[in-house]
Amino acid sequence: MSDRLKIILLLLPAMSVIVLLFFGGLLIGLMRSFNYMPVIGLTEPNLQAYINVFTDEEFYWSFLLSFHISFTSTLISCILAVGAALLLRRAFIGRAVINFLFQLNLTVPHLVGAIGILYLFSQSGVFARLAAEVDLIQRPADFPAMVFDPFAIGIILQYVWKEVPFIGVIVLANMQALGENYESVARSLGASKWQTFRHVLLPLIFPGILSASVIVFAFTFGAYEIPALLGANYPAALPVLAYRSYTDVDLAARPEAMALAIIIAILSAVMIFIYIRYSRKRVRS
Amino acid sequence: MTHVSIQELTKVYPGADTPALDRLSLEIASGELTALLGPSGCGKTTTMKMIAGLLEPTSGDVRFDDRSILRDKPEHRGVVMVFQNYLLFPYMSVADNVGFGLKMRKTDPTEIKRRVSEMLDLVKLPDVGDRRPSALSGGQQQRIALARALIVQPEVLLLDEPLSNLDAHLRFEMRDLIRSLQQEMGITTIFVTHDQEEAVVLADRVALILDGQMKQYDRADAFYKRPVDEATARFFGGHNFIPGKSVGGTFDGPLGQLTLADGAVEGAGKLTFRPENVRVGQGDGNNLSARVADVIYLGTQTRLKLRVGETEIDAVVNPNEVEGFKPGDIVPIHLPPQTLWVIS
Repeated sequence: MSDRLKIILLLLPAMSVIVLLFFGGLLIGLMRSFNYMPVIGLTEPNLQAYINVFTDEEFYWSFLLSFHISFTSTLISCILAVGAALLLRRAFIGRAVINFLFQLNLTVPHLVGAIGILYLFSQSGVFARLAAEVDLIQRPADFPAMVFDPFAIGIILQYVWKEVPFIGVIVLANMQALGENYESVARSLGASKWQTFRHVLLPLIFPGILSASVIVFAFTFGAYEIPALLGANYPAALPVLAYRSYTDVDLAARPEAMALAIIIAILSAVMIFIYIRYSRKRVRS
Repeated sequence: MTHVSIQELTKVYPGADTPALDRLSLEIASGELTALLGPSGCGKTTTMKMIAGLLEPTSGDVRFDDRSILRDKPEHRGVVMVFQNYLLFPYMSVADNVGFGLKMRKTDPTEIKRRVSEMLDLVKLPDVGDRRPSALSGGQQQRIALARALIVQPEVLLLDEPLSNLDAHLRFEMRDLIRSLQQEMGITTIFVTHDQEEAVVLADRVALILDGQMKQYDRADAFYKRPVDEATARFFGGHNFIPGKSVGGTFDGPLGQLTLADGAVEGAGKLTFRPENVRVGQGDGNNLSARVADVIYLGTQTRLKLRVGETEIDAVVNPNEVEGFKPGDIVPIHLPPQTLWVIS
């Protein structure tokens, strides 16, 4: 058996899952978004669903909101994760414990985290009541809206809480593999601590940050459950909008749901492409 | 030109019982090229890092021209360290690597460009500026690392095993380059190595460090001719150590009475002589008769294992002199008095 054939055969099981489930799903979604459903007699594909989506003002607000959620939570998570990794790579007493605590919530499901955020930060939550108790505010309801709010603070909090350890673990592994010698060289060549971070460490760990943040960005842009639980009703994040259309009593809204899903996928891909191109140039200049 | 004075420099790592470096004192004259020589883990890299400010000493002082530099930040010490594995920044062009130190000092970009091209000429790689470090050979990377260090005109240059990663033919090229640049720019240079050959070919003076302690600090030839103790002699390839007593210019031991050169240490001690100083045949004084135990052909040299009575003697000789020698032969040898040295 030739090596080529062997490789193809070995890849076949994994590839068939990806091709059948992922591309299959994508294809069916694409067909439905074009109003093409031969089972119920729709055999003339058209762009009506896309036209409906793009002419609805809510779509644009939803896009802005989703972008804001993904961008802000990815950015904050990256900054905190790099900071945490910088601290955690040093040797200090109790590092193992801190390291364990840092990574602990990697195992906690998003939904559980969301309920935690709800309990803690909502206007009837623990912090609101505590603030009222110590007379910082008059009533718990005076607590600033951090859940179901238009700025999606609760959603971003939840994502940051969950993604900081994820990015942190990747960046930390990256830093540990690099060692400190590159930074030592830079210091001895006259770079200050900040210059060493900016011109040496950051470009070196950047591939790690990039792949981790792309995963986080794509995930947060397309994820449904957290915005559904912690988000405001209007505007809703794009995946929530898509799900609403899908479960609409009016079956005619289904192609719109599919069109939205396809649009979410394309937008993610385009934004990630732009991000990779732009950030690589910036960091390595 | 900077005089470097290392005074009782000590480093104990947290949790370690014994110091990694124990009260090292060295005076390095301005513009001199000094080797810190010792096996891995002997404390030599620790010493370099403390001089560079990358590691805090437990006690002791490092002074440049009589000014302590221990409180200065690494970037203000005027010390540049070149690491063994070069550590060129992989995401920058070669020119950006060389100009890095100047960029950090916010030097004008046109000035950086001019000096980078000067530096590349100096290390004889004028055309590689636009390449990535990964496109260079090991020897070329080494030269770029050197250029990157020298462009900031350091007061003190630290080199970590500068020749170890190079092929034999590149070693001499690199040695000449380092020596000529160092002399031209007059930079006080310290390098660490575990390879005595590297220390000998490159350094003006060598400091031998064994187990965190300095054994001897001297010109290279002294380690062969006048080692301070057996460990030092062994590190430099010494094999012959014969116990006995030195009285009035004569060494009395299992080889009988041997004449010593003037000024030998008196009293009980060990006689040592280099394997390459054992002569086959009769000569002036110290003639012995030895039995050949083994003949090992090494190409340009032949190693003879000899026995005089119960005493083993190691000799390294020209292969032509011992053609036809075989184990069991009885051969005349002699030990020239000026090559004998007594360790007290």
